[in-house]
Amino acid sequence: MITQDLISFFLFSLLYLTVTIPLVLAYRVTKVINFTVANYITYGAYTAVLLDYYMRSSFGHNSLLLTVLSSFAVTGLIAVLSNLAVFKPLAEMRVKGDVLMIASMGLWIVLKYVLYIVSDIASSAWRTNLVSYSQIHYDDISLLTVRAGLVGVQQSLVVFPLLALASMLILYLVLNATRVGRAVLAVADNSVLASLSGIAVGRVVSLTWFLTAGLTSLAGVMWTTYSGAITPEVGDSLILQVFTIAFIGGLSSLTRTAAGALLISGVENFGTDLLSTYLGLPTSIKPMLTFTVLLATLIVSPPLGVAGGVPYRFTRGARR
Amino acid sequence: MGVKLIVEKVTKRFGGVVALNRVSINVPSSLVVGLIGPNGSGKTTLFNVVTGYYTPDEGRVLIEGSGRVVDITGWNPNRISRLGVARTFQIPRLIPSLTVLENMLLFYDYGSCASITCSLRRKWVDVEEAAVARAMSILREFGLESIAHKRPAELSAGHLKLVETLRGLMSDAKLFMLDEPFAGVESWMARKLTDTIRKINREKGSTFVVIEHRITELLEGVDYVYVLHNGSLLAEGKPDEAVSDERVIKAYLGK
Amino acid sequence: MIDVLGFLITLTTYIGIYLVLSLTLTLEVSSGITNFGKVAFYGLGAYTGALIGTYLPLAITGSRASPFDVNGIQLLYTISKSNPVLDLSVFLLSLAAGFAVSALFGLLLTYPIHRVGSALVGFTLLSTGEVLRLFYLNTEPLGESKGFMGIPNPFAWLPQARGAEALYLIIVWCFVGLTYFIVSRIMNSPLGRILKGMRDDELVALYAGWPTPLIKSKVLALTSGLTGVAGVLWAYYFTSINPNMFTPSLTFNIWAMVILGGIDSIVGGVLGTVLLASVDYAARFVIPFIGTTLVTPDYLRWIIVGLVMLVVLLKKPEGLAPRRGGVSKL
Ligand SMILES: Nc1ncnc2c1ncn2[C@@H]1O[C@H](COP(=O)(O)OP(=O)(O)OP(=O)(O)O)[C@@H](O)[C@H]1O
Ligand SMILES: [Mg+2]
Repeated sequence: MITQDLISFFLFSLLYLTVTIPLVLAYRVTKVINFTVANYITYGAYTAVLLDYYMRSSFGHNSLLLTVLSSFAVTGLIAVLSNLAVFKPLAEMRVKGDVLMIASMGLWIVLKYVLYIVSDIASSAWRTNLVSYSQIHYDDISLLTVRAGLVGVQQSLVVFPLLALASMLILYLVLNATRVGRAVLAVADNSVLASLSGIAVGRVVSLTWFLTAGLTSLAGVMWTTYSGAITPEVGDSLILQVFTIAFIGGLSSLTRTAAGALLISGVENFGTDLLSTYLGLPTSIKPMLTFTVLLATLIVSPPLGVAGGVPYRFTRGARR
Repeated sequence: MGVKLIVEKVTKRFGGVVALNRVSINVPSSLVVGLIGPNGSGKTTLFNVVTGYYTPDEGRVLIEGSGRVVDITGWNPNRISRLGVARTFQIPRLIPSLTVLENMLLFYDYGSCASITCSLRRKWVDVEEAAVARAMSILREFGLESIAHKRPAELSAGHLKLVETLRGLMSDAKLFMLDEPFAGVESWMARKLTDTIRKINREKGSTFVVIEHRITELLEGVDYVYVLHNGSLLAEGKPDEAVSDERVIKAYLGK
Repeated sequence: MIDVLGFLITLTTYIGIYLVLSLTLTLEVSSGITNFGKVAFYGLGAYTGALIGTYLPLAITGSRASPFDVNGIQLLYTISKSNPVLDLSVFLLSLAAGFAVSALFGLLLTYPIHRVGSALVGFTLLSTGEVLRLFYLNTEPLGESKGFMGIPNPFAWLPQARGAEALYLIIVWCFVGLTYFIVSRIMNSPLGRILKGMRDDELVALYAGWPTPLIKSKVLALTSGLTGVAGVLWAYYFTSINPNMFTPSLTFNIWAMVILGGIDSIVGGVLGTVLLASVDYAARFVIPFIGTTLVTPDYLRWIIVGLVMLVVLLKKPEGLAPRRGGVSKL
């Protein structure tokens, strides 16, 4: 039981990190509270699903590397397009952050049901069930595990750390070792100053959309090696955890976000288990635990000043 | 009548930055006082502490009016402003979707007429009439009726600062704290602002604390000046004394 | 033979319930509360109503039947047919309880969210709705995934079904009228101006002397209460509810209506609601006749809802019927 908990704690921590670190970075650059991250995860997973079906039926095997590249490209492209079509024009109209967020809601619905339609059509064209797809095995990973002498190890145990690490590495390298990456950081810190110092903010923002969405899609790919039934609901089912973690990080601090990922993963895996063993509570309280953490965060350490709200600690108690 | 503002050894830190370091000032009632200092010296932070935007890490803020001393340290901005403290912002903040008149009305104390029950029973009509009359007479007095129905986006920087100052009159403010009222304002408008401040000060006896970071443009007719530097009070005194103080000149030129 | 009158009665009832939701949302939006959790309060009202409407009659008549099995549902039906007084009083009690429970819940929820920005408010309320739905889904006394099925029609004792439907319609629209009255009175008053100021720049409203967190709490409590009543009305209208009815999509539907008509315009909100709710209802009516198609019509419907939001925000942000003039009517 405890090893099982440890394993899922480990896996989910990596999964959450892969989604939330790019999310926080994206917020700092684009200033959009973006609910379409749910779509990025789902589109990542479904690019993998469609590719897996195609590869298996045509060539008999499938590769993680190819999948990652395709998911990254598809999702990144969707993000760039949604920026061009929706967020950039809205930002040029100088709307408030609320409107950007509401627009991201609208986009979320559209993208979500477009995917439903695509998977329905693909299902009927290929006469298979893509709306609930089974776990994917990647042959290059099998090869790798056999080489390393890890026969019989679940792919997820290899793929999660591999992709999470790759994601962090890419982010770190791009941001710290390239000029454009430093421009991204400059815009994240202060976009006005950045544009004054000659940085093409528009291009940097586009690149950020591509990069962060692409990296988020890796979480979708990770999911395909873990879940027994991949559905178009993957992304939506993670949104509570993801934003709770981002809010713990105050939508700004990467270290606090990472700590939040571990906290939520721990609460979900150990907390639920403890409560069900010792208090006999059903495991369905899992989302409620996360929600409690969210409320506690807002009460104890509210991310003030981000995305509106009173930018100082509004104290009700301090009335002498 | 004006009120007296007493700031006692206030310290405010932001992480490692000490924005205010044991600053004490004592603004007597019905005086126009200047607060000067180079960029980043802590002037705005002092306003933020006095008006309740921040709670000071150490020290106290007191308001003394009609023989009563109130310790407002740690109060919320809404309570402090109901006490008669009005402030403006370095970058003017008016409500963009409301007209100038409506922006003024927002600062009127509707009391219980702003409650849900009063709104449902439409008991606010008389109060609203009084409020509108008051706002219009203020605007008229300062020659601004023509912009009463304009929105902030249509106004010049000077007008924005002027309206921001005048809305304090709606709530009968006794202490005005103006953050760089002359920055980015044309000279004729700056003169108008000065006249406005003088007029309010003379007629209502209100106290003024005015921030200005360029020492040369120090507002004429300021009664007293405080000089802040790196979060500490550097000097204080009559304008000409303060300006000719060696340390002040050094702070401005030498850094 | 299509029953035109029946269709119209159903349609107008449906629109009426949606109107309560969109009118309250208009007030919330104009106060800067980005309520992405309408469905939380709506569902809470519906479940409160259903709980009272099923358990209470069974308890009063001393039956030990469960409201979830055939016997219980049958019994509930018989009681509502034969006992007008009990039937109506259970309904009225439900309305009151729906208001109280949802309003209290809204009031409690404002504590964690009154200091943070609208994005965090929106997300927290959205999650509240989802967490509540999962709670209904996993709680046995609430019928789990099947939900409640025997909620008694408050006019079941009338000899004519048509008369019951018409009476219910009148009740719904009286409540729409009340909601409209409340929302428009508040928005067109000095308080409405304060709310608008709070939405645009909370700090300025605070510096104007208004205790904005307190005002937000009061507004959210009131609108949540009204939304809860809408939930009760829905439960007693449909006579069965289940967790699936209370997904976030419902919230987005209402947002689309309000955006289409014009955010912070009452008339716009009404117009948007009538338009979208009619299309929505007509679609529900027509879709079953289409049979199975390659593309599920329901998905298309949602894509259209999302596109309506986006296109209006981009091309006509003030909506179809923008608000004219200021707050002051003097
Ligand atoms: N919210 C904050 N977080 C961190 N540091 C802050 C904050 N507010 C102010 N500071 C720092 O405190 C110091 C004083 O700032 P303040 O804005 O009070 O200066 P000022 O005298 O008003 O300058 P200016 O003339 O440019 O308006 C500066 O070093 C500033 O960077
Ligand atoms: Mg300043």
